[in-house]
Amino acid sequence: MKMMEVTALSKSFDTVNAVNNLSFSLKEGRCTALLGPNGAGKTTTLEMLAGLLVPTKGTILFMGSNQADYREHIGYLPQQPVFFSWMNAVEYLVFMGELSGMAKATAASRADELLELVGMADAKKRRIGGYSGGMKQRLGIAQAMIHEPKLLILDEPVSALDPVGRRDMLEMMKRLKGHMTILFSTHILHDAEEVCDDVMMIHKGELAVAGSLPELRRNYLENIIIISAEESLDTWARTLERWTVITEVRVRNNTLELFVSDLDKARSQLLAEITEKKIPISSFTVGSTTLEDLFMKVVGK
Amino acid sequence: MGFSSINWALVAPLIGIELILMIIAVVDLSKTTTQTNGPKWMWVLISLFFSIIGPILYFTIGRKHT
Amino acid sequence: MNKWLVLFRKEWLEMVRNYKVIWLPLVFVVFGLLQPITLYYLPDILKNAGNMPEGTVIKIATPSSGEVLCETLSQFNQMGILVIVLAFMGIVAAERRSGMMKMILVKPVTYTSYILSKWVSALLLTFVSLSLGMLAAWYYTILLIGSFPFVDLAQGTGIYFIWISFLLTFTLFLSSRLKSSGLIAALALLLGIVLSLVTPLLEKWMKWSPAQLTGAASSLLTEGAAQGNVLLPLTITILLTALFLYLAVREP
Repeated sequence: MKMMEVTALSKSFDTVNAVNNLSFSLKEGRCTALLGPNGAGKTTTLEMLAGLLVPTKGTILFMGSNQADYREHIGYLPQQPVFFSWMNAVEYLVFMGELSGMAKATAASRADELLELVGMADAKKRRIGGYSGGMKQRLGIAQAMIHEPKLLILDEPVSALDPVGRRDMLEMMKRLKGHMTILFSTHILHDAEEVCDDVMMIHKGELAVAGSLPELRRNYLENIIIISAEESLDTWARTLERWTVITEVRVRNNTLELFVSDLDKARSQLLAEITEKKIPISSFTVGSTTLEDLFMKVVGK
Repeated sequence: MGFSSINWALVAPLIGIELILMIIAVVDLSKTTTQTNGPKWMWVLISLFFSIIGPILYFTIGRKHT
Repeated sequence: MNKWLVLFRKEWLEMVRNYKVIWLPLVFVVFGLLQPITLYYLPDILKNAGNMPEGTVIKIATPSSGEVLCETLSQFNQMGILVIVLAFMGIVAAERRSGMMKMILVKPVTYTSYILSKWVSALLLTFVSLSLGMLAAWYYTILLIGSFPFVDLAQGTGIYFIWISFLLTFTLFLSSRLKSSGLIAALALLLGIVLSLVTPLLEKWMKWSPAQLTGAASSLLTEGAAQGNVLLPLTITILLTALFLYLAVREP
């Protein structure tokens, strides 16, 4: 079941195209990471999905409909959540709950539950003005979930946190994953790999690569053989470029990086050649490119 | 008619209100979560030494909102 | 309506927590008390000021109750407007700047009820402040100078409140469009000052001007009846207020 289907979404500010012709869908119950470097259009995309920005072009279908105001079904955590410093955590959550259409009493009991969940039960009566960054982020998550939304949209939920806060947040997202659909943006691939099921990489406002993690690994990650030697391998490398099993050769000092299409074939041929030509190798590594490499390739660095 | 003939019962409410404004301003300034445009001590002095106008200035332009 | 009430309660709680519900009325009460007291003691103040040869007899006609209240109103027209504009210049702009507006509008709330909750709470507090200020002035005027009919006081204050509401709504409109609080205050005060200055100068062409309401309120207090055509500026002011409110609730 598709929770959200986005078609040809575009947003331009004056002459700048922040988001360009973006199409994707979010499947119910899955966690999707929106990955891209700073300035790729992640926040603009999320704000359009959250109903904060009106798209220049394109449609957003929520649960198959593009008519209804679906804001009551989504929870949104902006990159820098802000609060009323003069409220305490409970007052703030009840206020946000009531704005989402909950009765005061329901919102209050849900607020207690959430503050327990995010580990802030002991600070709930203190004014938010005195909270630390990590506490604010946790309260931000709590306010996004107060009305039990179907879709949780988190904009860079871990970027601003210290290592401990970051770990807490990732663990919390893992726990939430089973209960609701999550879409979160990040520029850190490691976070995406750790918690999400699906990945969308965007670059300069356009969708570059999308799919589930296994799909991406299958379709985009290339096998690679790295050979290091005690002397320069330049001349040998030039002969390797003509091999059909090798798609690309990169030479760095005394190290060769060979992108290969058929790993087994390439391995045996290379090993045979090394023995035959008595190439003084120091290491022979078989592996694959990482999502990081794919990300870098997409970003064009 | 000299200074002493002023009816203090009439003026007392005025002075009372001045004091209330001053106290509210200083109490608000003493909270750590309150943020001000410019240094806090300056606003404490302004609130204390310029009656009525001082606290008004603090509440309208000295205090940072939200 | 329900959500509007939630937002309205939040506005009110905010004004309680930042003491606006206390200091704004108190400021008006201070100016309300100050005027009758100063006018009553004016001869003594002048006498004590010195510089006068011995034996000089100062004769100042004691002002009538209506004149004292009229003076109070003109005091409100300067200090009062200044304080109200400064108090509410950031009412929308501050939350837009901080990002709070996004936190709220991502919830199923309309922009209209968001703005209206602010408008009504600001209007209500202004009304309470102005009324308390005028009541304080009225009480002291009765004590020091002489009685004055409450009906006239209420009518004068009522008409004057329409003029203040107009300026307040204009301030809210600016606050919904501009980022800089300073610019908002400057433009709102500029409108108030220009209208107040130009209206009596170009009497003939400015019969519709909202600033006519201050003149009408004054004459209600001093003469017991409004001078000239009140209905025209009243209608125009209410229409302009409605227009600025309409512009304010339109999402920029």
